[in-house]
Amino acid sequence: MKRWTKVMTGAAAIALATAGCAGSGGTDSGGDAAAGEDRTLTVWLMDGSAPETLTDALHEEFEQANDGVTVKYEIQPWNGIQDKLTTALASQNPPDVIELGNTQAPAFAAEGVLTDLSGDVDALHGDQWLDSLKASGEWDGKQFSTPFYAANREIIYRTDMFEQAGIAAPPTSREEWLDAITKLEAKFGSDPQFQSLYLPGQNWYALLSFIWDEGGDIATKDGTNFSAALTTPEAKAGLEFYKQLVDASGTTAPKDNDEQNPVQAGIFGQGKVAMMIGLPWEVATATEDAPDLKDKISGFPIPSKNAGETAPVFQGGSNLAIPVNSANADLAKDYLKLLLSEKYQTMLAEAGMVPGASTDLSPLEADPVSKAMAEAAKNGRSVPATPAWATIEAGQNPLKDMLTAYLTGAKSLDQATADANTALDEAFSSGA
Amino acid sequence: MTTTAHVTVPAGPPPPAPPRAGRPRRADLGERTIPYLLLAPAVITMLVLLGWPAVQVVAISFRRLDLGELVRGEIVWIGLDNYRAALSDPEVWTVVLRTVVFTACVVAATVLVAGLLAILLRHLAPGVRVAVQTFLVLAWATPIVAATTVFQWIFDQQYGILNKTLVKLGFDGFAGYSWFSSGPSTLTVIGLMIVWQAVPFVCFTIYAGLLTAPRELYEAAAMDGASPWQAFTTVSWPSIRPLVMLATFLSVIWDFKVFAQVWAFRQGGPDGESTTLPVLLYLKGIASRHFGLASAIAVLMILVLLVLTARYLQLLLRSKEGDL
Repeated sequence: MKRWTKVMTGAAAIALATAGCAGSGGTDSGGDAAAGEDRTLTVWLMDGSAPETLTDALHEEFEQANDGVTVKYEIQPWNGIQDKLTTALASQNPPDVIELGNTQAPAFAAEGVLTDLSGDVDALHGDQWLDSLKASGEWDGKQFSTPFYAANREIIYRTDMFEQAGIAAPPTSREEWLDAITKLEAKFGSDPQFQSLYLPGQNWYALLSFIWDEGGDIATKDGTNFSAALTTPEAKAGLEFYKQLVDASGTTAPKDNDEQNPVQAGIFGQGKVAMMIGLPWEVATATEDAPDLKDKISGFPIPSKNAGETAPVFQGGSNLAIPVNSANADLAKDYLKLLLSEKYQTMLAEAGMVPGASTDLSPLEADPVSKAMAEAAKNGRSVPATPAWATIEAGQNPLKDMLTAYLTGAKSLDQATADANTALDEAFSSGA
Repeated sequence: MTTTAHVTVPAGPPPPAPPRAGRPRRADLGERTIPYLLLAPAVITMLVLLGWPAVQVVAISFRRLDLGELVRGEIVWIGLDNYRAALSDPEVWTVVLRTVVFTACVVAATVLVAGLLAILLRHLAPGVRVAVQTFLVLAWATPIVAATTVFQWIFDQQYGILNKTLVKLGFDGFAGYSWFSSGPSTLTVIGLMIVWQAVPFVCFTIYAGLLTAPRELYEAAAMDGASPWQAFTTVSWPSIRPLVMLATFLSVIWDFKVFAQVWAFRQGGPDGESTTLPVLLYLKGIASRHFGLASAIAVLMILVLLVLTARYLQLLLRSKEGDL
């Protein structure tokens, strides 16, 4: 439902943006106001990104350090943000600091609408940056956005069920994971509603983990060009493991939908599911109607095929950028410097996120579910940093179609991967 | 979006023209311009609100307008490149054909169901009729978002009431059956919902037409020994024909450009098999930030619509006073 409300508002915004812009002449970079004059720094962060305690402290410190500067802080909803940003960036008076979804960032960078930050990486604590988000912010060898925060998926499980099924410790290899599924099925399988692992057919984030774990990737990079790599033996092996999980667990989750439809945390909360692949905060959704489950939920990283290692994980998150039309670029850089400093990054970690500019993940270790995320975070990866990716996510994701076609048996492994490979290549070539 | 638009439908003959001024005389300049001055605000508003965006769409379709151009305010004319890009894609023709067939099926089903319901309304006892009308209005008034969510739940693979009911009725094959496993199946479900949403308006329109046929005519037909079918073709049909035409024409326009419902179910999937032209426009143009290409597809959509509705437009232009 969210997606197409987004689309509706987006379409309206685009109509307005295109109509409003058709007549406008060249850009007006504005020029920085003289120092000492009263200035306003407009900051757009996303809903649910930075906790209020963080932004309150940050803005107080920033305003005190910069005389005559007021921070105009606006929280934006994720719904329709891509189109709202398009409209805002096209205006004469854009926000000075914006937050971008890490998979959307390359699209904006490639269009040349963001300030080049290559020269400021060190000043912005570049040595502490999270690799996956750093990569998302790069385009054509330049850095256009900085990491902000990230999160990655893990396996969220029911400790009580594991105990009853005689599983002593969380699995640390694929083999142990499959073994746990077998044990859980043996113990609880008589209940037709029981699912040892809830895994919908289109959880492509999980698929990415498996493909990377095999040593493959979905695309290879050559400068700013990407070509799909789904027909490699590694990618196929990742897909096969996905099917192995679906078959072993006998999950009744829809094969033609993702973890959001229906919301998997809601199903987990009904108490008949032992494991799901999800984000730490999905636990809160799951226990909303079942508070008694709270003490029975923990997490472990997605295990690798190499025993003892964790599988690489897709890191979703946000980048921070300065629009090229911003009149206060210097001030915006100072703001980023402060936000990316240790103090505020630690606060982000305490709020349960993987900080984008701090390698210290210890604040996450207090909670077992967050701890599992932090463990896997060292091995975080991102999708190809190409403008096409924003389009793929907004629309028809070939990886999802591939999964559904293969899992339902509509296509063979070779056919499904070949078709998805073609579709991905097409998207890469038309999106740039 | 489409089905909730209000259109006033004249139910009777046009009001009589005002009586002419008694004594013919030469009107002076002021008197002659007053009607135009009075019309001006409406005409100007229409030109600004309807005409200008349409002109812009056509103009943008000849430009390269990606995010970069938009932000920098550049105007880059590229001639027919957008059209070439749109038409060189073999997928476009499949999608055009699919959209036309989909529209035809949905419109035919809408008008047929609505027509039958309208005739049923004519024969129902007043109490029952009011009940049926109330249900129709409720279906009509349901917001698209709400209706789409409900339909998604009904057809859900695991938790949908439809599959559960079918299993209860003994059709065990429907346990966990996916209604969205193929394009035609997905489009059928979407079409069903659009018909459900569109029927009330068309039904009321046709029912209004039926009411204009006086009861005496039916009595006369019955006395002459006309069968029900003959009574329909000779008495009912002439009175509802213009309204059926109008409803069909409007439905074609609405159903051809329907986006929200198609997108909501499977984003044009599985594997792009339920992608219609508006979805294609969104994917290729808006989501990829190629607004020039989006405009080009929009212009192509208008052209296809013109072809589809050519017959009606021809009648509309030829007829006097909207008498079809």
